[in-house]
Amino acid sequence: MKKFSTVYILLAFSLYCHSQNYTVSGNIVDAITFKPIPEVEVTINSGNYNTYSTADGSFKFETDLKSGPYTLIIQKEGYLTQRLPILLEQKENLYFQTIPLEIDVTNQQMEIGLITLSDDQLNGDDDQADYNISGLLTATKDAFLNAAAYDFSATFFRPRGLDSEDGKILINNIEMNKLYSGRPQWANWGGLNDAQRNRVFTRGISASESTFGDLAGSTNIIMRASQYRKGGRVSYASSNRTYTGRFMASYNTGLDKNGWAFSTLISRRSGNEGYIDGTLYDANSVFISAEKKINEAHSLNLTTFYSANRRGRSTALTDEVYDLKGRKYNPNWGYLNGELRNSRIREIKEPVIMLNHYWSLIDNTTLNTSIAYQFGTTANTRIESGGTRLITTDEQESYVGGARNPAPNYYQNLPSYFLRDVNPTAVDYQNAYLAEEEFRENGQLNWNAMYAANTLATQQGGNSIYALQADVTHDKKFTFNSVFRSKMTENIVLNAGFNYLNLNNENYARLEDLLGGNNFLDIDSFAEDNYLTEGNLAQSDLQNRNRLVQEGDKYKYHYKIKAEDVNAFGQAQFKYSKIDFYVAAKIGYRFYQRTGLYENGYYPGNRSFGKSEPKKIGTFGLKTGATYKISGRQLVDINIANFTKAPGIRNTFSNSRQNNDLASGLSPERTYAIDASYIYRSPFAKLRLTGYYINKQDGNDLSFLYTQSAQGVDDGYAFVQEVVGDIDQINRGLELGGEMQILPTFKLKTAIALGEKFYNNNPQIYYTSDDIDGQLTFGNGKTNLKNYHVAGGPEQAYQIGFEYRDPDYWWVGATFNAFAKAYVDVSNLRRSDAFLLDSDGLPLNQYDDDTAKSLLQQEKLDSYNLINIVGGKSWRIGDYFVGFFATINNVLNTVYKTGGFEDSRISDYRGLLEEKERDTPLFGNRYFMGYGTTYYLNAYVRF
Amino acid sequence: MKKYIALLLIFSSCVHDDNFKVPEVIFEKQPKPVNIASITAVKGNLAQVEDGIFTFSDPDIFIEGYVISNDEAGNFFEELVLQDKPTNPTAGIVLQVDVNPLFTKYEFGRKVYIKLEGLTATIVNGTVQLGVRDNGTIAPLQASLIDEYITRSEEVAEIIPLEIEITEFSDDLENLFIQLKNVQFNRKIALGENRKTFASEATDAFDGERLLESCNSRGRTIVSTSTYSNFRAMLLPQGSGSVQGVLSRDFYDEFFVVNINSPADIDFSNEQRCDTERLTCGLATTAGDTILFQDDFEDQKKNKPVSGNGWTNFIESGSSEWEAYTAESANASQGISAKIDSYSSDDTNSIAWLITPPIQLDTLSKATLHFETSNSFADSSDLEVLFSTDWDGNPETITTATWGIVSSAYITQDDDYFGDWFGSGLVDLSCETGEIYIAFKYYGNGRDANDGTYELDNVKITGQ
Repeated sequence: MKKFSTVYILLAFSLYCHSQNYTVSGNIVDAITFKPIPEVEVTINSGNYNTYSTADGSFKFETDLKSGPYTLIIQKEGYLTQRLPILLEQKENLYFQTIPLEIDVTNQQMEIGLITLSDDQLNGDDDQADYNISGLLTATKDAFLNAAAYDFSATFFRPRGLDSEDGKILINNIEMNKLYSGRPQWANWGGLNDAQRNRVFTRGISASESTFGDLAGSTNIIMRASQYRKGGRVSYASSNRTYTGRFMASYNTGLDKNGWAFSTLISRRSGNEGYIDGTLYDANSVFISAEKKINEAHSLNLTTFYSANRRGRSTALTDEVYDLKGRKYNPNWGYLNGELRNSRIREIKEPVIMLNHYWSLIDNTTLNTSIAYQFGTTANTRIESGGTRLITTDEQESYVGGARNPAPNYYQNLPSYFLRDVNPTAVDYQNAYLAEEEFRENGQLNWNAMYAANTLATQQGGNSIYALQADVTHDKKFTFNSVFRSKMTENIVLNAGFNYLNLNNENYARLEDLLGGNNFLDIDSFAEDNYLTEGNLAQSDLQNRNRLVQEGDKYKYHYKIKAEDVNAFGQAQFKYSKIDFYVAAKIGYRFYQRTGLYENGYYPGNRSFGKSEPKKIGTFGLKTGATYKISGRQLVDINIANFTKAPGIRNTFSNSRQNNDLASGLSPERTYAIDASYIYRSPFAKLRLTGYYINKQDGNDLSFLYTQSAQGVDDGYAFVQEVVGDIDQINRGLELGGEMQILPTFKLKTAIALGEKFYNNNPQIYYTSDDIDGQLTFGNGKTNLKNYHVAGGPEQAYQIGFEYRDPDYWWVGATFNAFAKAYVDVSNLRRSDAFLLDSDGLPLNQYDDDTAKSLLQQEKLDSYNLINIVGGKSWRIGDYFVGFFATINNVLNTVYKTGGFEDSRISDYRGLLEEKERDTPLFGNRYFMGYGTTYYLNAYVRF
Repeated sequence: MKKYIALLLIFSSCVHDDNFKVPEVIFEKQPKPVNIASITAVKGNLAQVEDGIFTFSDPDIFIEGYVISNDEAGNFFEELVLQDKPTNPTAGIVLQVDVNPLFTKYEFGRKVYIKLEGLTATIVNGTVQLGVRDNGTIAPLQASLIDEYITRSEEVAEIIPLEIEITEFSDDLENLFIQLKNVQFNRKIALGENRKTFASEATDAFDGERLLESCNSRGRTIVSTSTYSNFRAMLLPQGSGSVQGVLSRDFYDEFFVVNINSPADIDFSNEQRCDTERLTCGLATTAGDTILFQDDFEDQKKNKPVSGNGWTNFIESGSSEWEAYTAESANASQGISAKIDSYSSDDTNSIAWLITPPIQLDTLSKATLHFETSNSFADSSDLEVLFSTDWDGNPETITTATWGIVSSAYITQDDDYFGDWFGSGLVDLSCETGEIYIAFKYYGNGRDANDGTYELDNVKITGQ
């Protein structure tokens, strides 16, 4: 095997005479293949002279520098940067016949690692994963962002307290964030890692050339056939986190003589269970792209990709359950016919097809226009246990049947339930012991009992009592996008973009499995019908009363939402030797309308059926920023933004499954943000220190919960929709990232995040429910959240670590990470005046202020430390590169909670006091448990 | 080619999560226990102990029984009612189990064996029940123990309900599946504007108790429905016919109740009710000038039976009788008034009549009735105002004469304030012909829930 020493250069000096200027020129080639490398940036360290290599790898520029020693810096993403000392003297022109650039294997590996890891986390099985922002980040030279992406993301740390709805993911300029939640659906492109390494990342609110962007920045993933390096790659990964195995193969032709380029990738990720028990993983991905360079001005690219993904889900656990079953416990599965079956499966099948046109209008001016179409379904299954049959007596209908929640961790199955009374009897203790034994030994879903019950019911002419229900969302999304870029002068770049999006979103429940029965009666078994309502309340569709449904049928709810979004942005960027700055503006319009396809029994007529009132929302945005270069090594960077954002579909309709109601008081969220950074860069050390302040106002949120503290309604027991508006929150803090290159092979690095995210007001809150008419409010209609922390990962994170890169093509790194100040998500209902009311809706008669304070104290999770190790090695065998990459996370197997939330089931003073007096609460906080020691190993061959 | 096969294998590597088949063994056959005791024997064990609670300690002894309760409609909760035979049962018992629902495993008619060792029998809410000893009483069997204690037989029997009359109810028949034929809900709760639901009236706490009466005999009983049942908000069926259900006792063990499994247990397909005839003249706006009969009871002797002035005071059943009384303070009489109750009577059935002298209607162009009533703890006792035009005035023929209901007369209701007197309204009698008798008929018995008091005063019949 050929060994590469650090740098060897074939230099040939040619002597020319020139009046005033020096000419520096040369040819840049791949150190291994000796093929020319285009678009390599070549600069002289004075900073004012730079150029890019052309398609044949050559470059040339003229300078009028004074004689003396300089450094020529040759750099390109993915290659090790070359620093060539040069001497300019006596009017000698310099010509480098060959400058070999070595592929930065380490960086590439780290990049693979990052994308792979984030893929792992983004496709996690709990809802927290959706918020994870690491997929937005890309391998950068920023020590803080690298720490956030590699090591902090496993614990759901959110840089600046921002989550994925605060960032934008674009693929070939097409925005991929969903209108439903504002968040990207990471699974849509899961498993395409090797095809997604070309990324343009914009940090925070600084200027992006494809979008106005957002607080957490934007990433434009370039999936154009011509942009992939020619060659292929096959890899296999093994892990015990989410999937157990991943196979991936890709091949890119590069641009051929006829102007064609093709690129393709297939992958499969699978596993019967990941770190958490019963979390199956079954995903196949395919990507195909073809590009034709029609002429120098026009290129047309077709890209399509499809990641079909099925995941078994887990759930957050209470301390009681964790203590009995450990952090891998997942109540959602049970054995059926000797095989593991998870009742909560998430299936995502949303292929994307896009056509991109790249047009160089005139010199330095481009217009990139794309159309994209995404369609498909997302389905989440769960067990329904309210199956009934209809009895008609005396011309009156009644529905009999229904069973209790079959979840093994249902609160009435747990020891705490038997000890709920103030003075438990001997039998209570005995029962608690029996319950504990049963839960420890079994504690999984009993599929057989459900099949048996349905079989019995069917034999007697009844319907399924238990069934598997899928909540299905079917999207058809069309996007048109056009981005204009013009480099007006050497110093000024103009950007503009226009985007139109049209979404047809259809939602329904689908009967997935009758679990041994023949029919399911499509009524709401919780409906409180009486002789006046004549069984109508229970109807999911009054136009099809008492319908029996079979597998594959739609039932329960069915509605469509039409959404349109039009937006445009414009931006000017100015670059001068001492200062760079930009200004950008956006304007947008959003439209939503629901069309009910079922006439819900609780909401007859056009309250649920037919078209809702349309919701129209206008938005705007302004931002500006500047980078001041104190010297070549020191920069100051400042960004300021003020913009509004339309609420997602999710928060727009207060109870979209049942009716046409719009959430009242809904206005666009308004954001004010400023950040300022000091950046120091030298060959020896890099440092960035950033302070940020973000204020979001008029935020909104919607949640669904079952509570026994809806004081004044049915003794307080109600399933409610909780609509929160006018949320004002502040994120502020400091970020520090630094690196020291102690030796050429050894680097120390550190990252620190000190942040705070808290509510800055007492937001408006109201509740709706099919048990009540109109809106239910408590007291002043507010929830007293002011100064509570907004939950979402640790507010403080610290890292210290090292990387060692051996010249022999192996590397190893380790980090020590400390996390602190993570808070559980507080219950809004508990902080509303419902807390102070008795079940009849009147104020409590006994109430102690200090007790109340202690009951409403927000829980701070324990701080914890995690050690991660990463390393890899690569070889070259002939034309093949072979390598592997491995990480071990949480080496010490530390037990920790990444987050949690309060249960709103009990939210009143008296109930909470009873809970506190219990040894174990019935409805304790629920937590997301961090993984123990896990590994990830990836081996690949590249050619 | 091999490459493609390898690829195919990788992509088809199975994740077992889809296309699950219905498990084959739904019913695991379990061996039939050897030592089987009868439910009667269990009740016998309990009867022999003085403190009224008996814990079984003999190993391997089981009882066998057939499930006659069904919690599908939510009218039974965490209990299995078992009887010894599918037809002509002789003994029944309740097993308290901390499992909900039970019908998905222990359906109606299923034969089961209950292991007795460790279980305790005692009387709860008036019936014999099995459970786990909890100091002086029992608690439900914990869910994780049910497979150990309850063995399902393969047999699912057709349960033939035991056909009986309400008047035949006895402790021995408790927890048996019975059928009452030719019965109806009392007209006050089944007909008209005050038609009630099974158990969702504002006054229903835990159970809705609805008066069921027999058309064959004078029996009356209560159909008791949980306020958690699925059919709680259904209106009571209006016709007459049969009811089947589990015979039990009310929560306070004061009277018998019938617990139905679902509304389908009531077959009132006969639209004809067996209500007696009604007086349908409605109310009059003005009274006649001539007083045909009146009594304000001022001439009666205190604490003596009402007599004279043409009254017929008749005890049909039991020992309670209309008598004159006075009272002061909050629950005052109006001077001397008449009253009846069955408090401390020990009667199993108290039925008493107070009948006016006959009024000849044929000579009158107009006739009206007015009276006042009050009550004290009326509970489930009842006062009715009846009329007859064929009675001959002989006390012995009272029960064979035809009595109709004076339906427009207001009689005080249980939820009226006990201290007040309520006027009946000016009841028009003029649509009847011939000689008419007006009767005040009381139903009650010696139990706390049915021993209420009714008070009567200022009875006045006028004509013109």
